[in-house]
Amino acid sequence: MTRALDLAEQALAAAKGDEAEVLVHAERSGVARFAGSVVHQPTLIDNAVVRLRVVRDGKLGWAATNRADGLADLARRAGEAADQARPDPDFAGLAGPDEYPDAPTYDEETAALGPVEQAQLAATAFDAAGDFDLYGYFTSGVTEIALASSTGLTAEQSLTDADVLCLAASEGASGWAEQTHWRVGGVDPAATAREASEKAARTRGAVELEPGRYPAVLEPYAVAELLRWFSYDSLGAQGFLEERSYFCGRIGERVFDEKVSIADDPLDEANLPKRFDFEGTPKQRVELVEAGVARDVVWDRGSARKAGDGRVSTGHAGPDAWRFYGPLPAALSLAGGEAASTEELVGLVGDGIYVTRLHYLSIVHPRDGVLTGMTRDGTFRIRDGRVAEPLVNLRFTVPMGEVLGDVPGLTRDPMLVNLNELYDERFPYGALVPALATASFHITGTGSGPGP
Amino acid sequence: MRALAEAAVDAAMGAGASYADARAVVLRRQYVVTKNGQVDDLSDAESEGIGVRVLVDGAWGFAGAGRLDEAAARDAALRATSFAKAAPGRHETTLAELEPQSGNYRTPVERDPFDVSLSEKVDLCLRAEEGMRGPGVIVTTAMVRAQGEHKVLVSSAGTAVEQELVECGGGIDAYASADGISQIRSYPSQHSGVSGQGGWEFVEALGLEREAPRVGEQVVALLKADECPAGITTVVLSPEQTVMQVHESVGHPTELDRVYGTEAAYAGTSFLSPGDLGSLRYGSPKMNITADATTPRGLGTFAFDDEGVPAQREAIVEEGVLRGFLTSRETAARIGAGAGGSMRADGWSRMPLVRMTNLHLEPGEGSFDELVAGVDDGVYLETNKSWSIDDKRLNFQFGTQIAWEIKSGKLGRMLRDATYTGVTPVFWGKLDAVAGPDEWRLFGLTNCGKGQPGQEAHVSHGAAPSRFRDVQVGVAS
Repeated sequence: MTRALDLAEQALAAAKGDEAEVLVHAERSGVARFAGSVVHQPTLIDNAVVRLRVVRDGKLGWAATNRADGLADLARRAGEAADQARPDPDFAGLAGPDEYPDAPTYDEETAALGPVEQAQLAATAFDAAGDFDLYGYFTSGVTEIALASSTGLTAEQSLTDADVLCLAASEGASGWAEQTHWRVGGVDPAATAREASEKAARTRGAVELEPGRYPAVLEPYAVAELLRWFSYDSLGAQGFLEERSYFCGRIGERVFDEKVSIADDPLDEANLPKRFDFEGTPKQRVELVEAGVARDVVWDRGSARKAGDGRVSTGHAGPDAWRFYGPLPAALSLAGGEAASTEELVGLVGDGIYVTRLHYLSIVHPRDGVLTGMTRDGTFRIRDGRVAEPLVNLRFTVPMGEVLGDVPGLTRDPMLVNLNELYDERFPYGALVPALATASFHITGTGSGPGP
Repeated sequence: MRALAEAAVDAAMGAGASYADARAVVLRRQYVVTKNGQVDDLSDAESEGIGVRVLVDGAWGFAGAGRLDEAAARDAALRATSFAKAAPGRHETTLAELEPQSGNYRTPVERDPFDVSLSEKVDLCLRAEEGMRGPGVIVTTAMVRAQGEHKVLVSSAGTAVEQELVECGGGIDAYASADGISQIRSYPSQHSGVSGQGGWEFVEALGLEREAPRVGEQVVALLKADECPAGITTVVLSPEQTVMQVHESVGHPTELDRVYGTEAAYAGTSFLSPGDLGSLRYGSPKMNITADATTPRGLGTFAFDDEGVPAQREAIVEEGVLRGFLTSRETAARIGAGAGGSMRADGWSRMPLVRMTNLHLEPGEGSFDELVAGVDDGVYLETNKSWSIDDKRLNFQFGTQIAWEIKSGKLGRMLRDATYTGVTPVFWGKLDAVAGPDEWRLFGLTNCGKGQPGQEAHVSHGAAPSRFRDVQVGVAS
């Protein structure tokens, strides 16, 4: 039994209500964050948060603590919260016991990494960066998630993850690369640093670009960010029910190029697998877009009940920090295409732009799927089917229906891109996506040049 | 808590640290959220622990433990020291001088927000929501929150300070949708409402119920409003949108750790360099920006920052010229100016970073009406909706929830889906008026992200309506 499940059962025993559910979210992690090839923000965290939900007379109250000796007080506070709530007619009830799928989530070697090893792995990246300074981090950690409820639910999963993010930069030049995996053996800090450095070396002498619509090749790092921001309003049930989703009124209709198929696939070993969500619902693959046709969004128990059409949860209740958004896909998977390489996509585009990475996205018009943001750390012109001169960072303002509406090609092999920014309690998640060529990427301005 | 922090510092120094500080923190957060007439979230969360920061041969180490006992405190100190010893790189760290500090501080509170029953909070939210409802409104939400943070900082240099910071806030949102158009209207801000330090009197003064009918009416009216036309024109920004502009294009780029590149891989750096101090023209002579950690009700108000540096008020931009950076002891020493005072950590589990405290655009003169009267043709933009800025804080694009056409000095038809874009020093150079003190408002935001692992800082900004000439609204054709 994990320490998380042990805590969950203790908290459940202390709870007082008609029904109760305990979620424990525990973390033991280290982040060796570096800048200028110096570790400057090293952070070790050891914590376990116990979150209790109590139901009394149809009213719900929540309380949370990280005090292992504070469970009686936790029960009192959750009970008081429930007593002062109002009956919730939309409450879907607590999940009962269930069978959970097998998925590889835990690696002993990764779990055993301590601060010395984490610092050493960061150092191997520094050594491989050549003449460039390196900015980013190496992190690894163990996340334990456990649930216990008065309805007989008992669930526990231990998740390991390791991530290396590298920005190689010097004055007027910068390049980006990253790797993430649930096993530390699946990431190579030195190779990541080399990829970033090689990219950076080609960005010197960046020039401006006239705004306008350009065909573009987007590396997986850029594709993952676009899908992540699109998902907040458009791929979850809350945005769908509240009519902010691009998919509203479009389920069953062709919304994207037929080469575009998007799923949420939390059981895929190539992603960061999970066996159940934060309500104890088993994880499953959910088809969101099949051959360009919108099929569904993701659901948790509450949103499925609100939909009222016999829906059930797809297993997408998120961590507490995501509650504002409702259920969201946390294992996005964009199917690969037929191109053997990004060079082949560049050849398909012929004349356009090449984008490595995106920065500071924002949702401009959710219902229209319009996003804005900047490119950075490896933006180039494409001419005559080849990557040509480097460009300054470009502002884009793009309707996703346009970006994904005409897709000349995708690379064959998707890669896993980390999407966890390490806020709140650790919850490793990413997107498994290929590079993508689009016929139209709307550049609406120019900004700063490459460099740190 | 003080004894635990002292034990952690002793353990770190015994393990070879040349400097150590420890923050013992007890944090409590309460949220009440209602949606469509139902309670959506009624939660009461507490978190306690100790964060220990050490310097070993010039290298930082930090460890946080989610327990407040001596064993955890000493263990965190030893792990932090071990991490610092293992940290690769060429480490050179000098800290600006700081006399040992001692003292206690507590936010002045008339009515402790935790003494207000959850039931009273639920009732307020439900009433505010009710006021927004009407034909065409499909979703209403209301939120109130309270936070109490009790922290003790002890350093190996003799500092020992204790602070209890109390804050609360709230906000309301309404959504409408028809014919493929979706709109949102919020008060006082889209970003989880507005918070301030103080007691429940702060929430009562927000007037959520009072403003609710207007919010509901406007969100429906937006469905039939024309789209804001694109073009280069004069914009008048509401105080709430002005503070977003201050936050993103002045606050973040003047954080000196960003200037030195420590956020390069994530949130980005800055177009500023240390040598710009005292000479760089940031904006027009109407632009005066002040960092003030003493502002009453500010979320960035304290007696000491998380390095123990006493709170300060200092000019960042004076009459358009860069006069100061937001600093830590380390970055202040590097630049040879300032003494730190902007180091803040998100709870016990994160290392302090250079953060905004309360950063204000100082008021000018006159009223909002006088600002508008000075516009022959332009738009008035209110309540932030989208925000994005490049990694050096130059190219930005903001969207607002609502806009009004300005014709011949008067507000005209309502407009939807407005955005505007610019480049920071060029844009601020076009500031030609800021309204006076009577129009100046303070906004407290709780979602300022920075750092890896990520940290959310609570910061406040004050501003009056502001006017900028020759701004690109929408996307250039």
